[in-house]
Amino acid sequence: MLYSAKTYDSQQRLSRWVRTGENADVPGTTAEGLKQYRRLFRNNINNTLTQAYPISLEVLSNEQWNKMVDGFYANHDAQTPHVWKLPFEFYQFARESDYAQKYGFPFLNDLLYFEWLEIDVYTMPNKYPEPFKENGDAMNDLIEVNREYSLERLEYPVHLYAAKESLNHKGNYFLLTYRTPKDFEVKFLDMPPLHVLFFEKISNERLTASQIIDQLLVQNNEIPKEQLAQNILGFIQTMMEEKVFLGFSENYLN
Amino acid sequence: MNNDINIGLGFRREIADEFLTGTSIKPDFIEVAPENWMDMGGYWHAKFREATEKYPLILHGLSLSIGSPEEPDWAFLKKLKPFLNEFNVEIYSEHLSFAKLDNAHLYDLLPIPFKQDSIKHVVKRIKQVQDFLEMRIAIENVSYYTPVDAEVTEDVFVKQIVEQADCNLLLDVNNVYVNSFNHKYDAEKFIDRMPLDKVRYIHMAGHHKISDELIIDTHGEAIIHPVYELFDYTLSKMDRNVPILLERDFNFPEMEELQKEMKNLRNICIKNQEQDVILS
Ligand SMILES: [Fe+2]
Repeated sequence: MLYSAKTYDSQQRLSRWVRTGENADVPGTTAEGLKQYRRLFRNNINNTLTQAYPISLEVLSNEQWNKMVDGFYANHDAQTPHVWKLPFEFYQFARESDYAQKYGFPFLNDLLYFEWLEIDVYTMPNKYPEPFKENGDAMNDLIEVNREYSLERLEYPVHLYAAKESLNHKGNYFLLTYRTPKDFEVKFLDMPPLHVLFFEKISNERLTASQIIDQLLVQNNEIPKEQLAQNILGFIQTMMEEKVFLGFSENYLN
Repeated sequence: MNNDINIGLGFRREIADEFLTGTSIKPDFIEVAPENWMDMGGYWHAKFREATEKYPLILHGLSLSIGSPEEPDWAFLKKLKPFLNEFNVEIYSEHLSFAKLDNAHLYDLLPIPFKQDSIKHVVKRIKQVQDFLEMRIAIENVSYYTPVDAEVTEDVFVKQIVEQADCNLLLDVNNVYVNSFNHKYDAEKFIDRMPLDKVRYIHMAGHHKISDELIIDTHGEAIIHPVYELFDYTLSKMDRNVPILLERDFNFPEMEELQKEMKNLRNICIKNQEQDVILS
């Protein structure tokens, strides 16, 4: 660094003023100019965050929201050069600072994350599928899965109920957020645990549905095979309609 | 882009379709901030691709923070370099300001103290970035609302940096106007003191006057007459064409209005080009 200690100190004072609004005695500045920088900085960050978190904004009081945002830019060192990714850092900050507990809204972390997932999946870099065909044998051909998704576990089903109502339904939920090919829409699907097991295997291992069903039966022999196969077949059909499964792989098993 | 008159418009999501399928605006090139499009998939990736197939692209960055005390963000620059190549970007410009300090992004353009040590520091940073990218970058004079511990004037600061770093200048004429108003100096004299042979690119924009004492550089209004005049004055001092951008970031009017502003800019360019021919 070729800045003198004094110049560097002026920059630190200016940045501290902008981030905290605490009088930092920045040398050789005007009060009016400083006021504008603080205002522009807050507007910019607040706009980015309110656009990302409309539901959370509605659930929290203005005072609660503003306190969280003020705390965020005063205390959190933003890492991403892409301002549209900043809401993720805000979610992390809110979770680490435990605003869910402070505000008595235990669902807050799940709610913020749910809202972030929509942005995350909408903007995620393209992941192109392998060659696939539309028709095939659902049980015995390899299924080509849409890779543009995120599968997350939530404690509060903020994807199924209004945020405050989700308090009455605490449990173990799995949320699939995915982007449809061609029209790039983000969709959400609640997935029961059995289907999560199946989905993780089909998307991460080169296995057919019937191979996975055999594995599931070893783990859980309470469901009759016939019933499980029917259930999975129905799931596959729904996933095909929803464009979570794209079709059948052109790359045959060897 | 050839050496002719080129008038561009910022490619913004709110009016993206106007660029792609509309018939009202006809820019010669588009400008985007790489930070807003790199790493992005899905819908906007597709729209951006479409736009770059239709128009030449100029990049105007936000996060390089050339005035930061810390080292340049090498991880970002490593991703930027292939992006520049992929879209045949001839001009990559950045702001003469800092937007990051002590490892925290501020997403805002803060003024660098106009001081001799700052000049040395920024010159070194620009050289580092140019060496890495293997191209000259263009540095923009920014609008600022207060000086910080200044020991030299803004024109000296800008000129010395551009000359010592051997970089290009992105001359934002609206910023010169805004700063001359807010800090009470003569805008034409400021232009006279700029290294005009280093100008690679020009920005024009509207602004918002919030009081008799203060203008904020918003890019949310039409260009006002005195800024056109300052633009005309600037071109009269230059002997060659550089791309001209109309910056409009929000509060979008009818597209015909933007097209009219671009036409005004073009007419001023034509007028000055003809005068150059007469003089030579
Ligand atoms: Fe500009």
